[in-house]
Amino acid sequence: MRSVIGLLICCAPAWAQNLLDPTSAEWRSAATMILALHRTPPLYSTDAPASNEVQSVQAQVLHSAAGNFVRLEWADKTHDTADLPKAERSWQGDHLVAQSAATDRFSDACAVMIPARPTAGDLNPSLQMGDPEHPVQIFFWDSTRGAAVMEASGRETTKRTGQSFPAQSRYVAGKWVVTLQVPGLKAGTPFAVAIWNGSQQDRDGRKYFSIWYRAQ
Amino acid sequence: MSQHQISMVLDLNKCLGCQTCTMACKKLWTDGDGMDYMYWNNVETRPGQGYPRNWDKIGGGFEDGKLRPSELPSKEDYGQTFEYNYAERLFQGGLQAMPQEETRNTPNWDEDVGALMLGENYYFYLPRLCNHCTNPACLEACPRKAIYKREEDGIVLVDQERCEGYRYCMKACPYKKIYFNELLGKAQKCIFCYPRIEKGEVNACARQCPGRLRFVGFLDDPSSAVHKLVHVHKVALGLFPEKGTEPNVFYVPPFNPPRSGNYGKSVLDDPRMPMDYLKYLFGDEVVDVIRRLEAELRHAQNGGTSDVLQLLIGRDEHVRYQIPRHETLVQIQGAHKV
Repeated sequence: MRSVIGLLICCAPAWAQNLLDPTSAEWRSAATMILALHRTPPLYSTDAPASNEVQSVQAQVLHSAAGNFVRLEWADKTHDTADLPKAERSWQGDHLVAQSAATDRFSDACAVMIPARPTAGDLNPSLQMGDPEHPVQIFFWDSTRGAAVMEASGRETTKRTGQSFPAQSRYVAGKWVVTLQVPGLKAGTPFAVAIWNGSQQDRDGRKYFSIWYRAQ
Repeated sequence: MSQHQISMVLDLNKCLGCQTCTMACKKLWTDGDGMDYMYWNNVETRPGQGYPRNWDKIGGGFEDGKLRPSELPSKEDYGQTFEYNYAERLFQGGLQAMPQEETRNTPNWDEDVGALMLGENYYFYLPRLCNHCTNPACLEACPRKAIYKREEDGIVLVDQERCEGYRYCMKACPYKKIYFNELLGKAQKCIFCYPRIEKGEVNACARQCPGRLRFVGFLDDPSSAVHKLVHVHKVALGLFPEKGTEPNVFYVPPFNPPRSGNYGKSVLDDPRMPMDYLKYLFGDEVVDVIRRLEAELRHAQNGGTSDVLQLLIGRDEHVRYQIPRHETLVQIQGAHKV
């Protein structure tokens, strides 16, 4: 458990029809906070340490009748994503099989982590994917494979729930803008952000992360 | 450590380089989407670049008990996959059957090139598959615990449901025998034909081998050919033992014939290939193995009977394969499940 290191993000009430649109006018008037990002320490000796290329992410949170939304914007010089053909686990028919185009590329991605259950006072779950007493929900968006809800109760316990969630993205002029609909991110809920830079072979615990913040 | 360990021994003196094993594996296991470039079993010419290119030089395995860093092979390192212009060739005529794109690298790109020593060319074929190691670096590297080693036979498998495609396993494997299916986002590898093994059937690569160079059985079964070749006669060695994974695929090193014009001389006295190269592949112990094999050969040439050479001939399947049906093995259900 960590106590809150309190930076507050102000959220205006919003009634936009489609807050998932990263260019929506509602986002232009929403309060913005720059969240400092940190690299996870080298966890795997198979991989060379990575430099700190993405030092911050701009975060906005809006609550509306349509739900709770997060807009993340960060600079990333490399657009690491792939448009993959549909694949079947077992091939049937007379068509040629679809090919893997690459073996060594990784995708840009981001995630918002929130407590799976309401937390008491100003305490937050462990930043390392929660802990057994304080499980977390992770709203993970991958530029190649899309959005997936995950849950965890500590490091190396992360698993997919099989559910997806609404998300939209744009990559323009060296910047990613991703909007995510996070149902549980109500006012006052703690949240933390993670960013993966595909060109740095980021995946899993090899990533950028923020400390806990609270949306007010 | 699993309760039993299935194993394969390959006699490199008998490999024809025909790739029948490669095709048997390909047709059975890797003809699906995203698997074009994968050859869970491949045969490469040695010396040579290997498949994937320079796999033996880019890292992986253990050093002082820790996983060593590694590069991740690129698609180009594995080699291109391409179609031929069959429709043009068959229906327009006059054209050669050619690949539809310029080829720059393929699996077995440098087939039969080899190298020169004292003005003579030398090479041999090295069939490769997952080594189903006793100390698998891939298993150690996977943070998802998606890789497990079966208690009942030591076969190493990737749980396709748990795998997230992180590819730490690909880096960790010093043999680069784990592949990435980008379309499915999963790591995939040789499964040692476990559905066949469970029925008492030998692996497809071994079954199809016209050179009869593969021996399959349980290392801990004293009656098996693999046990005899590895532990009794001590004529088979794992690849790159210094990588620390304790591979369970073993090779009888190439020791015969001698250089041209030197019939009767020992390979050790007048080698047709640099002994340092064999030491590079199989460790220093390869010298003792070749010494044993030459002694057996001399014994047979002098009219004696060599149990080792008789075994290595591998005339019949019952000589080469000893695979008990699974129900006769100790079953520990679900022991690998996390």
